[in-house]
Amino acid sequence: MKLITKNWGEIDPLNIKAYQNKSGYLALKKVLREMSPTDVIEEIKKSGLQGRGGAGCPVFLKWEAATAEKLQDKYYIVNLDESEPGTFKDRAIVDNNPHLIVEGMTIGAYAIGAKKGIIYINGHYVKQAEILRLVLEQAAEKEFIGKSIMGSAFDFEITVFSGAGAYICGEETALINSLEGKRGEPRLRPPYPAKEGLFGKPTVINNAETVANIPFIINRGAKCFNNIGSQKSPGTKLFCITGSVKNPGVHEAPLGTTPQELIFNSVYGGGLREGKDFLFAQIGGSSGRLINRSKLDYPLVFGDQDLPIGSGAIFVADTLCDIKEHLLSWAGFFHRESCGKCVPCREGTYRLWEIAKRLKNKDLRPRDSENIEDILWVLERSTFCPLGKFAATAWRDALAMFKDKIFK
Amino acid sequence: MGIQKILLAYEPVKINILPVLKEIKKIKEYIEREDLIELAKYFDLSVEELFSLASFFDELKTKPENKIIIRVCSGNACTNEGAALVRRQIELLLGIEQGNDAHPKFKLETMSCLGLCDCGPIVMVNDQIFERVLPSDVDDILSSYIK
Repeated sequence: MKLITKNWGEIDPLNIKAYQNKSGYLALKKVLREMSPTDVIEEIKKSGLQGRGGAGCPVFLKWEAATAEKLQDKYYIVNLDESEPGTFKDRAIVDNNPHLIVEGMTIGAYAIGAKKGIIYINGHYVKQAEILRLVLEQAAEKEFIGKSIMGSAFDFEITVFSGAGAYICGEETALINSLEGKRGEPRLRPPYPAKEGLFGKPTVINNAETVANIPFIINRGAKCFNNIGSQKSPGTKLFCITGSVKNPGVHEAPLGTTPQELIFNSVYGGGLREGKDFLFAQIGGSSGRLINRSKLDYPLVFGDQDLPIGSGAIFVADTLCDIKEHLLSWAGFFHRESCGKCVPCREGTYRLWEIAKRLKNKDLRPRDSENIEDILWVLERSTFCPLGKFAATAWRDALAMFKDKIFK
Repeated sequence: MGIQKILLAYEPVKINILPVLKEIKKIKEYIEREDLIELAKYFDLSVEELFSLASFFDELKTKPENKIIIRVCSGNACTNEGAALVRRQIELLLGIEQGNDAHPKFKLETMSCLGLCDCGPIVMVNDQIFERVLPSDVDDILSSYIK
């Protein structure tokens, strides 16, 4: 079942006509001609669409909260600051069908009554930012964005904003801070951005993949979308499968698909490369949990506390891998990307990284293994934002699974 | 001096601060103190606030960087494809060490994920990106930089 990747490779991503020929911008037309903003929110609510960025909370909640605000100036932001290691699904959407994001975004803005839209794109995605600017120009020419869209009373302008290379800016309040010209540090919630976001105005921030689902829901109806995937979390998900698999890349699969299927089915990952044996998989990028063979048939859905789906990245490691190298990779990543706002995360990730280096160089100090426990405990319980907690996740699982190998 | 020219294109509103800093980074290699003072006046902020912003982001630099910066991705996907061996090869070839500033010409750093995980290991030399790098490619990649 393909919703987002349907026309990939068949249409020219930079040609708005090609997109229109595949019923592009018909959903927007339908929304503007036949539906009130409340209808749109109701439709999305019925569809059960959940945020694709990681947390997986129902999309309509943010929308309703923003609609309830009386302030006129509202912002609609699409989060394309994808920097979770192992994740490149949003980049793939821009590369293959960028108009999908523009259309979905405009519908979302209509629903909440926003006049200004921003696409916040990862600073490394230089080419993709150019693509987006180009397709926005095309859309403006055809009056799909801009003043009085398609003859209606709805105005919506979109600008592209490039980040400057900080992982933490994917967190929505940190993203808002960096747009306001402040350090990209997360804010305390509440107030939630839907109430008080960019420049104190009600702001809705949705992931690019979330937005790309909207045209399908409007065109085919909430019920059709709701029937896809699992009952708890409907729809499809873009999975980025990397590591020792035969076909690494972006694969779209219904939610509720198991890692077993995603890694070994020839439609998706295609199994491990020759001469390699499965050791573990990490679900959801560097901040995700590790699973071994016994958990491979666990369905991946949003809202599952045991095995969060995260960004949908699946990293597959084989039996030849050096687990210490991966421990260093995780610790190094979170050490570098910790924003420094709170002490537990800033110091915890730093010390974890130091221990990881000593592990790698085989000069572990006597107290280190005890200290690891303490550091993980603090990271899990006392950091300001989830980044600190994420830093401990993979380490915790790796220690449980490969203790002998690590301290050998 | 070109900073005035950049400011002409941007209104003095807060949302433009980061784009302006990025523009300055494009024409100069780093953001000087004088630039920050001028920007502070333009955006009606304190220099401290601007400095805390400019020093926060990976892409912006507030100190001169005369060295050639080599970055090896340390994400799991790249690690799985042998990024550590590539890094080791670079260290051996140039006689440098990751995180150690001692070499007069080169600097080896890790970097955040570029989202090119299906083409790893990724190596970046200054702004140039190399994909699917093997330890045996290191000589070729760096030969044009070693004079």
